[in-house]
Amino acid sequence: MTDSPAPSSPKQQPAPSVPARGPAEGGPRRHWSLLGSVVGPFLALIAVVGLFGAADSMQGEGGTFLTVRNLQALSVQTAPVAVAALGMTVIIIAGGIDLSAGTAMALCATVLAWSLKEDVALVIRTGGNVQSAAVDVKEAEDRLTEIDRNLSAADRQLESSGLPAPRRERLQNRRTSLQKEQQELQTALPVLQQRLSSMEQQSATWTRFTPAVAVVLAVATGCLCGLLNGVIISALQVVPFIVTLGTMTFYLGLAKMLAEETTVRPDRATQVPDWLTDFLSIRSHAQIGGFPLGVWLAILLALLLAVVLRYSVFSRHVFALGSSEATARLCGINVARNKAAVYALGGLFIGIGGLYQFARLSVGEPTAGIGLELRVIAAVVIGGGSLSGGRGSVPGTLAGAAVMAVIASGCTQLGLRNPVQDIVLGDIIVAAVTVDQIRQRRLAAG
Amino acid sequence: MRSTPIKYSRTPSTSLSGAAAPRSSTPVRGRSRPQSQCWRKTSLRFLPLVLACCCLLAAGCGGKTEDGTTAGSPGATGDGPAKYTFAVIPKGTTHEFWKSVHAGAVNAAMEIGGVEILWKGPLLENDREGQINVVQDFITRQVNGIILAPLDSQALVDYVAEAGDANIPVVIFDSGLEGPPENFVSYVATENYNGGALAARRMGEKLGGKGDVVLLRYNPGSESTGQREAGFLETLQKEFPEVNILSSDEYAGTTPESSLDKATQVLNRHREEIDGIFAVCEPNATGVLQALRENELAGKVVFVAFDPNTDLTSGMEQGHVHGIVLQDPVAMGYEAVYALHRHLQGEEVKRRIPTGEYVATPENMNTPEMQQLLHPEQFQK
Repeated sequence: MTDSPAPSSPKQQPAPSVPARGPAEGGPRRHWSLLGSVVGPFLALIAVVGLFGAADSMQGEGGTFLTVRNLQALSVQTAPVAVAALGMTVIIIAGGIDLSAGTAMALCATVLAWSLKEDVALVIRTGGNVQSAAVDVKEAEDRLTEIDRNLSAADRQLESSGLPAPRRERLQNRRTSLQKEQQELQTALPVLQQRLSSMEQQSATWTRFTPAVAVVLAVATGCLCGLLNGVIISALQVVPFIVTLGTMTFYLGLAKMLAEETTVRPDRATQVPDWLTDFLSIRSHAQIGGFPLGVWLAILLALLLAVVLRYSVFSRHVFALGSSEATARLCGINVARNKAAVYALGGLFIGIGGLYQFARLSVGEPTAGIGLELRVIAAVVIGGGSLSGGRGSVPGTLAGAAVMAVIASGCTQLGLRNPVQDIVLGDIIVAAVTVDQIRQRRLAAG
Repeated sequence: MRSTPIKYSRTPSTSLSGAAAPRSSTPVRGRSRPQSQCWRKTSLRFLPLVLACCCLLAAGCGGKTEDGTTAGSPGATGDGPAKYTFAVIPKGTTHEFWKSVHAGAVNAAMEIGGVEILWKGPLLENDREGQINVVQDFITRQVNGIILAPLDSQALVDYVAEAGDANIPVVIFDSGLEGPPENFVSYVATENYNGGALAARRMGEKLGGKGDVVLLRYNPGSESTGQREAGFLETLQKEFPEVNILSSDEYAGTTPESSLDKATQVLNRHREEIDGIFAVCEPNATGVLQALRENELAGKVVFVAFDPNTDLTSGMEQGHVHGIVLQDPVAMGYEAVYALHRHLQGEEVKRRIPTGEYVATPENMNTPEMQQLLHPEQFQK
């Protein structure tokens, strides 16, 4: 089925099957189908909202589904997947796929949590942080008291007469080695203490930069992950599905390694800044104009990406790549470089998605991204993106992400059980892909 | 496959011959149909969308009736319609443990009458964000109360506070939650420290107060198993000073496979000395039992487990397992629903409600009480 006519169709048609652009050619029928491809996902969204709204209002105490509060809740539930799906839209338009999106996102969230916890600005500045310096001092002090105790015990034993000679000798030896260690520690301790106090002083200046540095690190991690995918795909000429299937577990491993196989928990009171806790919170104090900062940022990012996809030369290359890589190459497009750029751009959004995930969880959990990539891909596909490349749109993707959030939330509020929710979601995805196939055949026919 | 549709598409007139000629090959026929028919009737363009809605409706209705019987039944036993709606949110929905909690919650709701239980966990086990979404959606739905087993002691804090903002009381069960304690009404769970202490007593008793023992830990950072480990070690040291602890710093990991590997290593190292071993949770115990059998030490080494499964229960019948510390998940669900109901009635509720810990031994395992804990009631529709 994936061998659909799209890849070869541009050979026959001067304008590749780009929905958002070039509606001038093709006549009224083409107009309609293009309109359908943009409006379709929104029709689906309206349909599911209407359906759940109606079912909900038939419940006992009247509906809570079509309320402002639910709109807010849905927006924050959609945001993390939606942001990552924006990047995935570009990748899918370019005819690629990124299965590592979920675990890479969790890696970014883990990097963010770890950076906050370790006070990364101070680490970069001084090579250590207050916490570890304090631990060093404490360990040295504890060891000193332990040595004191051992020494006095040894002294007591030595004083008591009637100790066999070999035993006495052994004790003496032990005593001298302990004393040596004691001396070393006593000289080392002031240095450690001084380090701690200087660290505390430096912390006053540098710790306030930690959140900003942490966010930059997390987003940069996302970009690097994407870039690595892109470079491997272009350099090794292996299909993206396989490459990202590999990097999926690779990033999972990295995240687990960074987190030392547990969950990274920065202290909420002191280490997580307020703006980050409120980033995706719908509690009243966190709202700006009805929505939290993160939702507004997601909307802004979507607008930016939509503009880029419509007007930039880069986006023309992306669409051309997805429509037919061979043709694109013949047209003089640098395929390798553009592919790397596409995946790096996808990675940028995954990094930002990691920020969203952390804001939502307030911990860095390395395994939180397992299975997430499928939701991200599903958002793009429900939104009209074609897995054979060349098609996809930003508003469609947002609608696709929202459809999934609406289904999940609607099923909970109607009291539907998990199996039902799984089945409904599966139906929607199959239906969306069917629409895509039929549209594609029609486009090919037109 | 790739070239055929294009051929038709370029010359639509061939669609007739296309439909007639390749009778033998089904794929081509299948393809030609949407083009020749779907094409002309513009209304068919929305067919898939309509289909999708039908699917949704069908699934929705199917689910609704299904759910009507499950969630509605406790309410139906009371007089008239449900007065309260409680959302019960486990950590996952597929493990037997949670099915027992569900059974307990529904039992309590039936006894009280007029309480409807909405049972819903995250779609995937261990999906923190999924659980957060479920909590938020129940707040939106304005249920009367939420009973939550938090997947993460920190990640759920904000969302429990959000329920507080909306005046929805929350009871926490199974695992603890950080943050200000006034955020939730009560904490209903096993006393894990005491569970570890019970294991230590069983071990000491079986060894006759003398011997060399190994403690196999679960995973760093897990609060509940950490409590069990501490309870075990401290009780052994206090009450059985002659029992020597050979090893207590090995982490067996979260799966039976990793536990099997770790336990095999530990058994090999201490083969000559070891007299007893304690595994702090069910996956670990499963791995340890297998390791004991493979090393031909089963029955010779005193083995105490925590949480039952069928493997461990039959191991106990064979004399390979000498004690299983049991929790009471049914009581957990039951007590949590009662606590929430009492709170809503304006009664005082204890901040901490322990649900009891027990030790099953080969001697008492066939008593009705132990059988009930070894094979706890499961929720059934």
